[in-house]
Amino acid sequence: MKQDFTIRNNIRKLRFHASEMTQQELADKIGVTRQTVVAIEGEKYSPSLAVAFRMAHVFGVPLEEVFRCEPLGPQPPDSQP
Amino acid sequence: MNLSYREKSLWGTLAVTMAVYGYYFGRALTGTHPAEFDAASISRVVAAVVVLVAIEVAYEIVLAVTSKVDPKDERDILIESKAYRNAYLLLVGATFWLMWTIVAQQMRSYMAVNLMFLSVVAAEIVKSVTQLFLYWRGL
Repeated sequence: MKQDFTIRNNIRKLRFHASEMTQQELADKIGVTRQTVVAIEGEKYSPSLAVAFRMAHVFGVPLEEVFRCEPLGPQPPDSQP
Repeated sequence: MNLSYREKSLWGTLAVTMAVYGYYFGRALTGTHPAEFDAASISRVVAAVVVLVAIEVAYEIVLAVTSKVDPKDERDILIESKAYRNAYLLLVGATFWLMWTIVAQQMRSYMAVNLMFLSVVAAEIVKSVTQLFLYWRGL
């Protein structure tokens, strides 16, 4: 199924604000490998809800501050304000 | 290139599989060979499998000593499941093709068994290649 949205994230910024947390430290805290954190941060992999919530918990922010959904291409006319 | 433990393991498995079975099938399917799959044929298959397992075990030991061993996480499992799907599709396709060919060409047991073995090896290679591709490209 083709997705008409993409998932963006602020992980790099959140790691920076969390005392320059390394990707390995984040990976250890959320129970995945460093390569998976690299893939999530590089938007090559969308994690499960469990991992996403664990990540938000580690940073102490709501999920929406870690991940956001952005539409791909032009918006349909009825979604315009 | 910064490869994970799992990618290094997959590259090793792929290289050893292709080298050992490439040599085996290069000898088994070319030149003169018996019509039936006899005891000597079985011993050659067993020898190939034993050599493959021995090299892989040695490689995994070296890798475990020199690299950080990470347990599988959800991304590894997802990539592995996609790789198994591709391998399964190839194996099913090859099996039906082989069943048809054995009947249509009245294939003798030596060639039939070796082609069946080849399709299993090909499925294993497809699995490893799919995993490496998905690790490289992302999901």
